[in-house]
Amino acid sequence: MALNKTKRKNNELKVALAGNPNSGKTTMFNELTGSRQHVGNWPGVTVEKKTGRASYQNYSLEVIDLPGTYSLGAYSEDEVVARDFLTTGDYDVVLNIINSSNLDRNLYFTVQLLEMGVDLIAVLNMADEAEKKGIKIDKEKIGQLLGTPVVETVASKGRGIDSLLAETVQHRDLSEAALKIDYGSEVEDLISEVVSMLKEFDFTSQINQRWAAVKLIEHDPEAVKLLEREVGVSKAKKIKSLIAERELKAEDDFDNIIIDKKYEFINKVISESVQRPAADQEPENVSDKIDAIVTNKYLGIPIFMAVMWGIFKFTFTLGDPLIGYIEAFFEAAGGWLGGLLVGAGISPLITSFITDGIIGGVGSVLVFIPNIFLLFLAIGILEDSGYMSRAAYVMDKVMSKLGLHGKSFIPMIVGFGCNVPGVMATRTLDSKRDRIISILINPLMSCSARLPVYVVFAGALFPNHASTVVFSLYALGIVMAVIMAGIFNKILFKGERSHFVMELPPYRFPTLKGVFIHMWEKVGAFIKKAGTIIFAVVVLIWVLANLPLGAEYASAQSLIGQFGQLMAPIFEPLGFGSWQAASSLVFGILAKEVVVGTLGVVYAAGEGGLRAALTANFSPLAAYSFLTMVLLYTPCIATLGAIKSETQSWKWPIITASYLFVLAWLVSFVIYQGGMLLGIGV
Amino acid sequence: MPLAMLKPGETACIKKINGGRTAKGKLTDLGFVSGKTVKIHRSSGGPLIVGLGDNRVALGRGMAHKVIVETKGCEN
Repeated sequence: MALNKTKRKNNELKVALAGNPNSGKTTMFNELTGSRQHVGNWPGVTVEKKTGRASYQNYSLEVIDLPGTYSLGAYSEDEVVARDFLTTGDYDVVLNIINSSNLDRNLYFTVQLLEMGVDLIAVLNMADEAEKKGIKIDKEKIGQLLGTPVVETVASKGRGIDSLLAETVQHRDLSEAALKIDYGSEVEDLISEVVSMLKEFDFTSQINQRWAAVKLIEHDPEAVKLLEREVGVSKAKKIKSLIAERELKAEDDFDNIIIDKKYEFINKVISESVQRPAADQEPENVSDKIDAIVTNKYLGIPIFMAVMWGIFKFTFTLGDPLIGYIEAFFEAAGGWLGGLLVGAGISPLITSFITDGIIGGVGSVLVFIPNIFLLFLAIGILEDSGYMSRAAYVMDKVMSKLGLHGKSFIPMIVGFGCNVPGVMATRTLDSKRDRIISILINPLMSCSARLPVYVVFAGALFPNHASTVVFSLYALGIVMAVIMAGIFNKILFKGERSHFVMELPPYRFPTLKGVFIHMWEKVGAFIKKAGTIIFAVVVLIWVLANLPLGAEYASAQSLIGQFGQLMAPIFEPLGFGSWQAASSLVFGILAKEVVVGTLGVVYAAGEGGLRAALTANFSPLAAYSFLTMVLLYTPCIATLGAIKSETQSWKWPIITASYLFVLAWLVSFVIYQGGMLLGIGV
Repeated sequence: MPLAMLKPGETACIKKINGGRTAKGKLTDLGFVSGKTVKIHRSSGGPLIVGLGDNRVALGRGMAHKVIVETKGCEN
């Protein structure tokens, strides 16, 4: 009964996937459409709706993957996306993905959809896991009791997809009556009175009137708003006061009665259609055993730190030799190509464009593919395993001191990959205050784009302690995030406590396919970025390094040199007042990898590549101060754009950009000047 | 008594959910409804981890005070 269903051709169908988090919606979406959307094992992986296409027989299907939600209550932004689509969107049928081994809670959402009159197919997914637990589901019986078709699937193995598609195309235009649950005489009497008032007041909305009445009795704010819009405030007030009057006389709150009756209905459905082994209540499972260790009061945080340390050690130790090979390749390619071009009589300008500009600039960024690859391999394993929500649990103690709660830590971990999805992941936080604070501190989570800068500097100036130096930067980012969250908590907002409830999904062994899909996607994005924005900026810098005509390439007299000199005094007290450093930081705002790209272009003239140039131009202390600046300063424009669109205002991206610059400057200043005083790394 | 008062390993039956619309709604969404059995897996100052059937849920202390339980256990 989608409200805004548009006319479609007979063989076209719009299908929405909806259901609880971690029920396998995105896996199903990938299976149906051949897409490669990111699947992870924590609640809140999908925060916006995604569209893909599938075909079956002669039908063409548009498939929409919605964020996971436990109900239509919509307490956070991602759930609002799902709720709004389901209540007012344009679709023909909903595939309600249900975790078969977790029926009662999943059916709570199913029942809400059915009461609303949604045309849906109940998809009993993860049927294999239910079988393993000895749960026997009579799907005909369930379908009969719910009044909706039921299909069994195992999306991760592609089982049941064909029958699901067959059912889906058959289901077209099959508008069933909405499910009716008996709420007991007291509530039922009130429902019929409200329904007749709605009729009398000409409540013309296409929404099922019984459902609207139930929602009004539950005091659903959206339903009340809709009513006020449809019939006017004064008539709406009559209905509201009728409900309030009855509630005073009632023994219990109506919303409690309604919830209880819903679950009573679900329990009845389950008892008539599901057989469970008569085991003892909740036997200790493997997940519980792992949790006993990783969520331990004393071990939790050290284990989390060890996991992070392990990820960086892994990224480095394995990545470093590979970087060497690629570096050697680019150096050889540059030399060979340069010789070839000069030999062929190509103008020195074009030769310089190719060797200094493209190979020196883009090449110096592409060198880091192995690190990016390994970092996302590690993050992929972390995300698929189910550890994410445990890390959030463990960090709750720290976060709650800052007025946030553990769930706010998940966007921070996502930020280690890239701050754009990190900022978007804050949609799962239900309070506006938590969201804003989490967004403001997310850029302090050191993203993968900053990694190349660290690696190149650490390799050049701290060859024996490279991974320690890089890890210290990540740690510094977290520490700064914690401090800033504490400050924002004090100055920005008061009150409005949020509620911490979060599912801990069972651990799963990461699948090779899942992890690799995730990794390829990220590595592909990195290469694409290198070929587009980084390439464009590098070309621009190369041009600026050649102008004005007659100026020596990449000298202080070139345009980039003059520009850098203009900016350099700002960075002088931090130990890196060279025009090269200054201009790389300014252009780095376009994309953080550009810091390396710019240095690659402007130092390309030197012998021995970028590393040698860095060793010659930076002291270890100045390098560390520079890296601190790169870690903390103004985020890239993509992140600022995400902040703008998530907060719907220019205020927050401007605040983020400026506070981070000031913070970065101050911290670098303290590090450099402190180091000078103590005589460390000078 | 509130769920927050129970010790690890104890089970109880949910009697009532207190709190405002959002708190109550979020608890109900995750399966905290009267008549259900909960088991405390972890409770050591910070948030709790409780079991509801096969599900494990992390629950802030404040929220755990809104879940009223009876230690006698559920009837069935």
